[in-house]
Amino acid sequence: MKRRSDQISAGSVTDVTTQPVTRPLVDPSKTPYKEEPKGPVGRSERRIDGREKVTGTALYGADLFPNRADYFAQVVRSEIAHGNIISIHKEKSLQVPGMIAVYSAGDMPGTNRQGLIHRDHPVLVENRILFRGDAIAIVVAETESAAVSGCEAVEVNYEELPVVATMDDALAEGAPRLHPDGNIMGGKRIRKGDADAALGESDVIVSETFVTQTVDHAFLDLEAGIAHWDGEFLTIHASGQWAHEERRLTSLALGLPMEAVRIITPATGGAFGGREDISIQIYLGMVALHHPGKTIAMRYSREESMRARHKRHSLRIHYTLGAKQDGTLTAAKITVYSEEGAYASTGPAVLRKAASHSTGPYRIPNVYVDVYGVFTNNNPTGAMRGFGACQMAIAYEGMVDRLAERLGMDRIELRRKNLIRNGDAVTTGQRIPVVTATDCIDAALQQFEAKKLADKPLTPYQRRGWGLSVICFGLGYGDGFPDASRATVRFNAEGRLEVYTGGVEYGQGLLNMAGQIAAEELGMPFEQVDVVWADTGRTQESGSSSATRQTYFTGNAVKIAASELREEVLDIAGKLLNVHPHELDLTDGDIKGRFDPSIVLPIGNILKAGRERGYELEGTGIFKPRTVCEDFDTGQSPRAFITYLFASHIAQVVVDIETGEVRVERYVACHDVGKAINPQSVEGQMIGGATQGIGMALMEEVVMQDGRMMNPNFTDYILPTFRDVPEIETIILENDDPGGPFGARGVGEPPLIAATPAVLNAIGHAVGSMPHTTPCTPQRIWELLNPHEAGIPYDARLARAPLHARLTK
Amino acid sequence: MVVSPAVGYHRKDVCLRILSLFYQPQNIEEALRIRGEMGVDVTPLGGGTDIIVALNRSAAGAKHYLDLTHVEGYSDVRRDNGDWRLSAGASFSQLGRLPVRALAEASMTVGGPAIRNRGTIAGNLGTASPAGDGCVALMAIDATVELGHASRGKRVIPIDEYFTGFRQTALLEDELITSVSIPADWQTTWYKIGKRGSINISLVCCAVGLSPKGDVRIAFGCVAPTVIRAKSAEAIIEKGGFSEEAVEAAAQAAMKEVAPIDDHRASAAYKQAMCGVLARRLLGEMSKSQNVKTSKE
Repeated sequence: MKRRSDQISAGSVTDVTTQPVTRPLVDPSKTPYKEEPKGPVGRSERRIDGREKVTGTALYGADLFPNRADYFAQVVRSEIAHGNIISIHKEKSLQVPGMIAVYSAGDMPGTNRQGLIHRDHPVLVENRILFRGDAIAIVVAETESAAVSGCEAVEVNYEELPVVATMDDALAEGAPRLHPDGNIMGGKRIRKGDADAALGESDVIVSETFVTQTVDHAFLDLEAGIAHWDGEFLTIHASGQWAHEERRLTSLALGLPMEAVRIITPATGGAFGGREDISIQIYLGMVALHHPGKTIAMRYSREESMRARHKRHSLRIHYTLGAKQDGTLTAAKITVYSEEGAYASTGPAVLRKAASHSTGPYRIPNVYVDVYGVFTNNNPTGAMRGFGACQMAIAYEGMVDRLAERLGMDRIELRRKNLIRNGDAVTTGQRIPVVTATDCIDAALQQFEAKKLADKPLTPYQRRGWGLSVICFGLGYGDGFPDASRATVRFNAEGRLEVYTGGVEYGQGLLNMAGQIAAEELGMPFEQVDVVWADTGRTQESGSSSATRQTYFTGNAVKIAASELREEVLDIAGKLLNVHPHELDLTDGDIKGRFDPSIVLPIGNILKAGRERGYELEGTGIFKPRTVCEDFDTGQSPRAFITYLFASHIAQVVVDIETGEVRVERYVACHDVGKAINPQSVEGQMIGGATQGIGMALMEEVVMQDGRMMNPNFTDYILPTFRDVPEIETIILENDDPGGPFGARGVGEPPLIAATPAVLNAIGHAVGSMPHTTPCTPQRIWELLNPHEAGIPYDARLARAPLHARLTK
Repeated sequence: MVVSPAVGYHRKDVCLRILSLFYQPQNIEEALRIRGEMGVDVTPLGGGTDIIVALNRSAAGAKHYLDLTHVEGYSDVRRDNGDWRLSAGASFSQLGRLPVRALAEASMTVGGPAIRNRGTIAGNLGTASPAGDGCVALMAIDATVELGHASRGKRVIPIDEYFTGFRQTALLEDELITSVSIPADWQTTWYKIGKRGSINISLVCCAVGLSPKGDVRIAFGCVAPTVIRAKSAEAIIEKGGFSEEAVEAAAQAAMKEVAPIDDHRASAAYKQAMCGVLARRLLGEMSKSQNVKTSKE
């Protein structure tokens, strides 16, 4: 029944699993086999989950419990950033009316470990506290307010240790050791050519240090859910991003066989990588195990959510770029220090992605990259939309503008000169068969020029400027990780088409993507498609809804499954009608003769006949393309990522040079998505990503002070509003990907990655001085323009001795 | 009516824990009587845009609440001879429609439309945050605050004497703010620096007012424990008029007069520099928009 991914090549000339990278290139848009979609693929079909969500009937995590919960749980979190637990006193808490129990690490039945890559994060701290959100105990009560009161009444005695508040503290001599292997988590190295020698021979060398901020995901739907243990099975309904991994981690931490745990993801409002690390599932499961037959509920407040959750890595990037006088890039030498916070989370993968995206879509023959992760007593940092690649885009796009200024060259020309072309390699040595970076720049510039509004007059203290960014992004986990997606497509008893995927829909449009592909492949009207998703009891593993991978991976899996089902249906029809199946076609829910128009048979008849003959009417697909691990010493790999995406954004800003306020006036975003399965969803992703990128460029920042989060709320964690974001003018390019479903690549992360550098470059163009720290708050712009008046160097964080010197000592 | 102290979540047991009393008087006399009898035990509640947020953040909250929204004339805004008389419950949305530029613009930068519909001028004065945008605007037009008491009657104090320290005011614990009066014939300007285009907390805000008689008021928010006036800067303009030199001197004086601190919103150095920038900008704007540039003498 199962098909391997290499069978997908029926409709395209390239075989994604075994394609040698040096194969002669074929323009996929001109292949004779290309079949244009006739059905829902490429149409903005109404969202499957749209009605429920718009009318408020969709059940999110927090909607599940008012009527269903027996007990409520609440987590006791550390009030110190670094220290040891001496004792936990539960007595006072248990005296609170309605309180039932307090559980600490000793009550955990399993390993008590979590962590997506290293299992270094205790679910409940046994002894050592590493950040101010660490969970110490769980209280259980009959009511939620009793749980809150009970939580406050738990007394914890700490032995406080010196707080490692910054990367500098962590690397200082005599700094407390936060993990057994020291305060450096590890790193990633790229050695391509000889960057030292090439820099020596370069005509021009530009150096800069960039510092990016810690960012919160700020999704709206807070972590919430319910759990139930019936003595045999543990069922958990909780918002998440990767149900099957949550099952793995929950069973591990709780010491249950995986088969005994069922995770069901309810309607989920946003994730952005923020739900990739497990949140409340293990807490809920643990309490449920202690109270068989009871339904346990819990949820986070905004403050708890922000205090407990991982964040985007704050990076310090030392970037040196060399070029010839004519603008040809010769070498790049990049050292990155990445703040990991208290635990590894997905940090190791973020570091790898940062390294492999450190020079973007530029052809640079000699590249040295060193990335280090540094532990501190701040929140762990991990997955967030952009995943290391967005911080690096700020650096490489900033560097190109700086170089253009130094050389006196046009910014765009310098880019065009150095962009990779079809068949060129990126930093990791992977050759990209079809590069559409220039197409993106052209389309974006054309839009920007064509609709240029009459510029509003400026006051004497305002400056206007525009900036462009162009990025490439490798989608999927990459790097040899066994990345796969599975899907099942079947006809149910009523003749409706059911698609089963383990992927999570959190607003991005996964259901429509999967449903439209299945309907297209089977020639079914889209209204007759249902999608069952993210339930470990009913669906197979499809990997996480992250890394811009679901359209490519699950889309392909659904397509494989649907084409298998299609063949089965045609086979039955052929037998029934006594025609060869190849002479039949499946369109609009009917079997039709390809050559004989008199043959029209409703699909319902086939299904009935098929069942009578013992057919299952179900197709299963696995999409599991291979990627190759990057070499440990050189970071080179022929295929680190399954495919690459390209995008170009243009932002126009007005900067008040006295107050430092920045207003984005105009915004153009152009993405090559291969094929837009649902153009409206693609546009939604582009607009949302650009908005988030503008937020990262101008205002979003988690402020930590000695391990304490100063702004764990939306009063002080500033997100962009409608007023801060102009209309995002979207351009979708469709250059088929040879291996994607219907040529689709994906769109999730690139809009954010391209947005931040576009805004920063626009600011640089406006004020004549390039910003190198994000976010560009009014204060930072003022400091950039008035370094002396500010009385401090541009950024205090930059003033300290370079970390590199200490590491190499 | 009764509320639980732990508002914010939909809770099963909300009726089981009757700890707070919730008063909802229909007229001002009754409101003053309750406040007079209960003093600090009762927290006056208008739109709740500060109090509910505080309540959500800590389980404690106030002991009892005095909801003023049902008091007759609670949100009246009316012309009283040469003045505008704003009742305690006048919302920012209402103030946003007043022809007093600084107050109107300041009001329209407070929160979003929902917050502006709820938030009141008395609430802004009661909270007395140094970042209170409404307070800065009132400071720049010599507003007067009327404080009522059940038996002692009302007293009217100038806004300049109202703020006494960080979130401290002249309001006694048995009094209520009943109304605010502002002159209708002053020229005013306003500027607020924030991190985004709306729903913004000030990094620094400034209001400048000029009376028909030539009195100048320069008020700042976020640069001292309270909303403050830069009196030496005012004196420079009142004496030297709106000449370029006087404006520059006033801006320099304003920077010396403020005492901002470093916090997670912005550095002291930035806030101090911005006081100069805003004073220069608003005074310059005022000199252009009006012809009477003569000094007070």
